[in-house]
Amino acid sequence: MRRSHITGLALAIAAAACGIGVARADEVTIASAGPLSGPQAFFGVTWQNGMQLYLDEVNKSGGVNGHTFKFMKMDDQADPRQGTLVAQKLCDDDSVKVVLGHFNSGVVLPTLPIYSQCDMPDIIFGSNPALTQQGVANIVRPVPNDFIQGALPANYARNDMKAERAAVVNDKQTFGEGVSRIFAERFKQAGGTVTSVSQVNPTDVDFTALITQLKQQNPQVVYLGAVMPQLALFAKQMHDLGLDAKLFVPDGGYTPDLPKQAGDAAAQAIYVTFQVPPYDSSPELVDFTKRYTAAFHSDPGAYSVYGYILAQIAVAAIKSAPKLDRADIVSALHSTKLDTILGPVSFDKNGDLAGGGRVFLYHIDNGKFVLAGHS
Amino acid sequence: MASVSVARSGFRAGRVLARALLVGAVLAVLLLMPQAGLYYVRLADDVLIYVLLALGLNLVIGYAGLLDLGFVAFYAVGAYSYALLASPQFGIHLPFLVILPIGAALAACFGILLGIPVLPLRGDYLAIVTLGFGEIIRILLNNMDAVTGGPQGVMMIDVPRLAGYPLISPRGFYWLLLGICIIVGTLVLRLERSILGKAWAAIREDQDAARGIGINTVRVKLAAFAISASIGGLAGVIFASFQRYVSPESFTFNESILIVLIIVIGGVGNILGVITGAIALIVLPELLRGVAEYRMMAFGFVLAALIVLRPEGLVPRSFGPARLARWLFAP
Amino acid sequence: MTGLLLQQFVNMATIGAIYALIALGYTMVYGVLRLINFVHSELFMLGAYFCYGLLAFGFGGIGSVGALAVTVAFFAVFALVGFTGVAIERIAYKPLRQATRLAPMLSALGLSLFFQSAVQVLAGPQPIRFPSIFPGTRIMVAGAVITTTQLGIVVLAVALMLLLAAFVARTRLGVLVRAVSESPRTSALLGINVDRAISLIFFIGPGLGGLGGILYASYYGIMYPTMGTIVGLKAFTAAILGGIGSIPGAMLGGFLLGFVEVAGTALLPVLSGGILGTDYRDIFAFIVLVTVLIFRPTGLLGEQISEETMVYKRDY
Repeated sequence: MRRSHITGLALAIAAAACGIGVARADEVTIASAGPLSGPQAFFGVTWQNGMQLYLDEVNKSGGVNGHTFKFMKMDDQADPRQGTLVAQKLCDDDSVKVVLGHFNSGVVLPTLPIYSQCDMPDIIFGSNPALTQQGVANIVRPVPNDFIQGALPANYARNDMKAERAAVVNDKQTFGEGVSRIFAERFKQAGGTVTSVSQVNPTDVDFTALITQLKQQNPQVVYLGAVMPQLALFAKQMHDLGLDAKLFVPDGGYTPDLPKQAGDAAAQAIYVTFQVPPYDSSPELVDFTKRYTAAFHSDPGAYSVYGYILAQIAVAAIKSAPKLDRADIVSALHSTKLDTILGPVSFDKNGDLAGGGRVFLYHIDNGKFVLAGHS
Repeated sequence: MASVSVARSGFRAGRVLARALLVGAVLAVLLLMPQAGLYYVRLADDVLIYVLLALGLNLVIGYAGLLDLGFVAFYAVGAYSYALLASPQFGIHLPFLVILPIGAALAACFGILLGIPVLPLRGDYLAIVTLGFGEIIRILLNNMDAVTGGPQGVMMIDVPRLAGYPLISPRGFYWLLLGICIIVGTLVLRLERSILGKAWAAIREDQDAARGIGINTVRVKLAAFAISASIGGLAGVIFASFQRYVSPESFTFNESILIVLIIVIGGVGNILGVITGAIALIVLPELLRGVAEYRMMAFGFVLAALIVLRPEGLVPRSFGPARLARWLFAP
Repeated sequence: MTGLLLQQFVNMATIGAIYALIALGYTMVYGVLRLINFVHSELFMLGAYFCYGLLAFGFGGIGSVGALAVTVAFFAVFALVGFTGVAIERIAYKPLRQATRLAPMLSALGLSLFFQSAVQVLAGPQPIRFPSIFPGTRIMVAGAVITTTQLGIVVLAVALMLLLAAFVARTRLGVLVRAVSESPRTSALLGINVDRAISLIFFIGPGLGGLGGILYASYYGIMYPTMGTIVGLKAFTAAILGGIGSIPGAMLGGFLLGFVEVAGTALLPVLSGGILGTDYRDIFAFIVLVTVLIFRPTGLLGEQISEETMVYKRDY
């Protein structure tokens, strides 16, 4: 039984026992849709765990405005078709007030018209820039402009490391391809040479042949636009095959799993970009990890902290909305001004994160993330 | 004697009533479906798309006995033809009714393209190569960014218009799909009974003997591939106009397998079986949403169990619509 | 240059060895039942998970286990996965022997989905770090960097394959297996217990696949519930390439596929002037497969399958 169910029930019983007029505590349903089975299950499940963590904490502290929250997890298997079915189901369910999802850009896109039709406040994920350009008014996207992540490492590699040659690899996905393209452009602009641009499949685990070829190009720097666990696999194989270059990766690599799966020796060569000031100096992040691990008995996933923040934004919007209906919550969402673990959150007229955000560059030293530079 | 005949006629009257109720119920569901919540209509639309796909694949697997595991390729060709010819991608905006035949024809070409190299292959080898073909199409769609948009797919696809009337709601699509399914279903039934259909049956039972009696196996097999592919392409066009966004993720190997499963579990070579299978396999995972994380586990288990317990499918091959009609309306 | 070639050769050999080991499972099952055992990819994955479980819980910690523990784990995993294979055959394939050709294939698919989801539910969907069972030292040879893991995998895989070949050729049980693969009906007439031979095949084939899973997880350092899907498909392609039903064919096919993949990655961008990227490698592999099948429909080392050996009465 869900903890929110138990909490709600307990509150109801308590309220009844105290003889308060309310028959049971007001429950507001927040739903989330993402891949909970199939190859991307790892991302979806841990992402929603982050949301669950926040909502449980809110419920435990008595809820908000007299409401507690019921969390509905829906599985779309990263399949656009199932995503549309889920979206329609949530739309038809009047008790669902906010949707956090979907996880993949490719699933968000076909669901946008459906949510728009039923005025569902939708806090979307997914980094495809086209998402906020579809002309739908009921969405916000608290995901930072990831492409800034491509510029910072390029500058660092040229200016601080004086690297001449860089090899670029991406996983042919929207994000990976986009961010690695920005890196390549900036690197060339700053006077460096991009020796090659290679692609791998998102499901590849074996990069030995590719890395062996890259070795011939003698790059000082390799940029890999991909996600975990490929980042760790690539780093490990780079080290095993003796490609002595620095490896720059985007924010998916900001997880203790990276040095763990790559091995400390291989991780020594890795630089990761991330939107948050250093982990250790951010007690909130450390605390978040502690609370997550206590609740789910495993390390937070790559996007757990984003899940947490999505839930936080949703609750804040519900709190400030004058009435508990979808249209009001949409306006409340657009006027969000919130301080979160990952920094301040507010939205521009398109629903994108205002200000784009700052990026920080971390170097993995002895398995720990150490600040190396920032934008 | 009199009592026996009275009893028999009473029994018969009861049977007639039961059948009438059954027919009435099915008609009621079909006609009243759009009144239900949008989620159910959307689910019905999905079922109908898969019925269409399965009708196509059934032709090549069920009738001609050629194991095609890459059917999703034709589905993709149809979907992308609508996506590329009716969206901002190239700035072309052809009408829906024009693209329908184009998509079907293009898919048929790909069907022949696949059919030619696999002509000499049998059984499992045929399966492997068709599987490979399906994957090749998906990889090409994913990699040819300039044309297909790569992994990002094609978005903002035009809303289809039927005689000026825009089709946006799942309800409108329900009627369109129902109509097309009925038309295609009738055509497929006719094909089954035609000379071509008999040739297919001959090839299915024994290819060598069929050639021995003078059937041009090459032409017959290519016809199977082409016609089934065109039906797949048709389904693809409608899918693209429904979802208004296509990406390679919708056309994975798992989709091909899903369609094969629909046919096998429903009942191979049998239109009623195809319909049963589509309903079973599309609705079941939705019903299982209640069990959340055990959903896929349960689904896999149910699939395996269904096949082990009833390998010929839920509806046997001989139970076609004709026999159903006789069973319903015979005195 | 020699460094590059040697390096790529070692890469090729390692991947190829793993593919070959897994392909053996597919080929052995196909050889006797004419069945594509789609569950094999999940048995491969189970091998890795079983090994991890045994080492972590049985020996208290996976990082510091010695060679003895690893050897015991190897045998244990072989047996565990082997018995799972036998169980699957009894429950999901045996009842379908009189049915169509397609039925057991799809039953396998259902089971495959079931196992994948079950592991995901029980062990979590996240990739888990799998420390190599070999010491991971790097050796520099003529400009190429070779790890002991790579060497270990190739040596071990080849040893296992040779063991299997010897088993099939020399031992009494092996002769049983070959007889039943050749013709179940005749074997039955000769008094051979066909069911027992089939069970044996379903013990050895999946068992080897499970060991392949351990080697794979060691090489890449991680394991996850869906790791079987892609590798299974590739190993299966390898089995077809080499001639499905033929044990030497599976071995040849595995190494050949490793070669095609590595060569594809290395040469495609060069030969096509950058138009075709390394991600076209998989298409390349499929095209090679299709081409081979068109000219040699039974694969490179395959033999013509006679009507008599068909276990299934009809295709569909």
